[in-house]
Amino acid sequence: MRAEHPDREGRWAWRLTGAITVCVYVFMFAPILATVVLSFNASMFGGFPLTGFSLRWYEKLLTNGPVLDAFRTSMWIALVTATVTTLLGIMAALALVRFEFRGKQAINTLVILPALVPETILGVGLLVMIKAVDQPRSMTLLVLGHILLTLPYVVLIVQARMVGIKRSYEEAALSLGAPRVSTFREITLPLLIPAVLASVLLAFTISFDNTSASLFWRPAGVETMPTQILSMLKISISPEVNALGTVMILLTVGIPLAGGLILQSLTWFKAGK
Amino acid sequence: MKLTTTKRLERLNERYANGDVSRRSFLTLTAAAAAATGLSMPWMGRALAAVSEVRFDGWGGVVQEAIDKYAFQPYTAKSKVKVVQGTFGDENETITKIKTSKPGDFQIVHSSGVNYYIKYVNGGFNSEINEGNIPNMANVLTAMIEPFRKITPKLSAVPYDYGTTGIAYNNKVISPEEAKEKGANLLTDKKYAGKVGGYADMTTRVWYAALQTKQDPNNIQDMDAVWAKVRETRDLAKKFWSSGAELMDLLSRNEIVVTDAWSGRVAALQQQGQPIGYLDPAGSYAWMEDMLVLKGSPMAECEELINFMLDPATSIAVAEGQNYPPSLDPTKVKLTDKIAALPAFDPTGSMKSLTFADPLYWAKNEDAWTKQWDRVSKGA
Amino acid sequence: MTKGWKLYDQRLAWVLVAPVLLLLTLLLLLPIAMMTVYTFFTFVTAGVESAVLTFDNWKEFLTDSYYHGFLWKTVRVGAITAVICAILGYFPAYFIWATTFKHKWLLLLLLIVPFWISFTIRTFSWIHILGEQGLINVVLIRLGVINEPLPMLYTEGAVIMGLLHFLLPYMILNVYVSLEGIDRTLIAAARSMGCTSAQAFREVTLPLSIPGLGAGLLLCFVLAAGSYVTPQLLGGSRDALFGNLIYDTIMGQLNWPMGATLSIVLFVLLGAAAAAYSRYMGLSQIMKGLSA
Repeated sequence: MRAEHPDREGRWAWRLTGAITVCVYVFMFAPILATVVLSFNASMFGGFPLTGFSLRWYEKLLTNGPVLDAFRTSMWIALVTATVTTLLGIMAALALVRFEFRGKQAINTLVILPALVPETILGVGLLVMIKAVDQPRSMTLLVLGHILLTLPYVVLIVQARMVGIKRSYEEAALSLGAPRVSTFREITLPLLIPAVLASVLLAFTISFDNTSASLFWRPAGVETMPTQILSMLKISISPEVNALGTVMILLTVGIPLAGGLILQSLTWFKAGK
Repeated sequence: MKLTTTKRLERLNERYANGDVSRRSFLTLTAAAAAATGLSMPWMGRALAAVSEVRFDGWGGVVQEAIDKYAFQPYTAKSKVKVVQGTFGDENETITKIKTSKPGDFQIVHSSGVNYYIKYVNGGFNSEINEGNIPNMANVLTAMIEPFRKITPKLSAVPYDYGTTGIAYNNKVISPEEAKEKGANLLTDKKYAGKVGGYADMTTRVWYAALQTKQDPNNIQDMDAVWAKVRETRDLAKKFWSSGAELMDLLSRNEIVVTDAWSGRVAALQQQGQPIGYLDPAGSYAWMEDMLVLKGSPMAECEELINFMLDPATSIAVAEGQNYPPSLDPTKVKLTDKIAALPAFDPTGSMKSLTFADPLYWAKNEDAWTKQWDRVSKGA
Repeated sequence: MTKGWKLYDQRLAWVLVAPVLLLLTLLLLLPIAMMTVYTFFTFVTAGVESAVLTFDNWKEFLTDSYYHGFLWKTVRVGAITAVICAILGYFPAYFIWATTFKHKWLLLLLLIVPFWISFTIRTFSWIHILGEQGLINVVLIRLGVINEPLPMLYTEGAVIMGLLHFLLPYMILNVYVSLEGIDRTLIAAARSMGCTSAQAFREVTLPLSIPGLGAGLLLCFVLAAGSYVTPQLLGGSRDALFGNLIYDTIMGQLNWPMGATLSIVLFVLLGAAAAAYSRYMGLSQIMKGLSA
């Protein structure tokens, strides 16, 4: 539009749009940058002004047992969640895209429901239920809960990609006598790979990051990374929390970025071939 | 891996046979153990190794550090039983967690006295202890044990320490004379608006409001006046703190200059050289803490640990570390000068100089008042 | 196994969705049903309730203005947040869509990056901006503009700020997705027929991007009204939202029946918002936005 002979009014509007866009981006990243900067602050207190450069909060972090425990726990939960959800999500998306059956619309709505219901309610609901059947909170419950939370996103991603894969490929293979399973493995799955990777990444990050619902579901004595941060924040805004935040940012931004890059180079490699 | 799992299963079976583990959790644990043969997950280890571990939940910060250093670490070195620790800032939250956990997930709680003891007993979460296995109980003050016995003749908890919630003030801003003169009313002094703090806890808030309205906290007649005072403090307060560590943080950073405060934490600040004064106004809120044993705990290990903690040498070291006087009878056990100098310390051992909350009175009003406090704190 | 089944046999479809269906029934539908039953249970004392059926919890909710106040406040905060999100979010979405900037992907990537950063960290990072020792106060005091730090943290404004920060990317992506769906020749046509760029925007672009804006508004409203951590970290105790009420009722007062009642209330309220929306727009737009 900028290219389309803008009038004076349009030029001003465009400049305004650009300025607001810059402001919004600053708004989104300034607090995060502040956290990163403060994590290197030498001061005892986790606030401005800066008093000097120091890595000691990172050292302290490395010897902080509960934090490392929470990190391991969250990694495990996120890994299991990502794997299981992706598997279930592919199956469901396959059915929802390729098949016509009664109740399909209802299931479609049901599947995205967990993304729309507030986590507090999901949290309370699951607690009430396990209490009603007289079961204690357990790690299994927490993982199942995370699967529930990540499912909508995975199904949506895989669905979106599946719509773009022509049925005729699969139908051709099937009509040539290939069994269903190998058709899926040889034809559909390779075409789905980007969506699968995206799902795994997204499910992993959502699970790793989940706070509200995990507060309700975690079993006795178990802290996940976010709940650990929350309980550290309850005590004080220490520089150690800033360091922890920075490490987390590096990890959660770094892993998907690396994943995306690998994916990019893979497709590039394939195209080059 | 295989061998240890088998061993764990055997041990589990033993506990099951002894009735320590319910049938359901036995099956769950067995299934978990079976799964662990192929796949060892970090959280399963904890459940399975339960016998050589005791779980303890306490108040965190300097208090728990002292208990860990002077009681748990020596105990683990001696007995090879590990003490797995958790912390909380609000005991009610812990009760919710216990409610939705399986018996044995939580074992020993550093609980705040009879007010809370009743809640565990009502919920059926407590587990009777065999006092015969804790010979060191002979040294514990009778005046501290009695209130517990009134609730359950057979105890599930052993008193361990006591303290007060008095008034802490920054003596660069408030002189000791002023503090003495105003006492509890410092918390509603408009002069310090925005610099007042307080514990985000119903009992503490109502107790101090009762003192401010010159009523007996164990027999309040005019509740409306009490809530009005609670609101007054709320409107002057910068923040209600919710953990001992947060209290120390706020005071030492001058974010607040006056607050009700736990005696031991203030003593810790004073030892760090902070300019903080402490005062127990007339009728100051005194409380005791106990080691409470929950259902599903390995009783023998827990009793042994508690006995070890009550050993005079251990108990005194912990008391000096956490700055709360021990439950030991000063007429039977020689306590140190440092303990004698601690705030709230009662050299007679009769506890008559301290005002504790009447558990039955408070339990009766607990639900309604907690609800009301919840509302007042949210601005109602 | 599938011998004799048609190519797209219904039975196979059911086999494929069965695990997901089971999961959703057990973890979503059943819990909500149980919660509904729980609202009729009797609260005995902290941590203890009995299965004696009663309407007391509902009576309390319906007659107590305390709950109504917080319900209204939650709706208000949710609506304010959603509207500000829409206003602030439309510009970047439009900019990214319309720009001829070569590295447009970078702008899009930067929109997605916040989703990867822990929500807790993003929220508490505001303490460094708004707090007494935060960036704004420290700079203003250094410049001599103010002597005493401004109280910005632990206010409703801080809560809305935190919610905006968390929800803006959702809004921008939703609007962007729906802008992407617009056939650009329509705009060119409008311009060639003599529309000013403002007219073209008003007559073509804006109406066509309404579905995305609507989906974004709903999503932001639902997520803001259901939030719990943001008010807890950035708000004072008065700035609690309905989610905090639920948490405190269950975790603090140990009153599960009342907590369940409040949960159902919030669920119905937000469900109604979503239903009203899907009546007019259909849910498909939200799906597009969520999967973007």
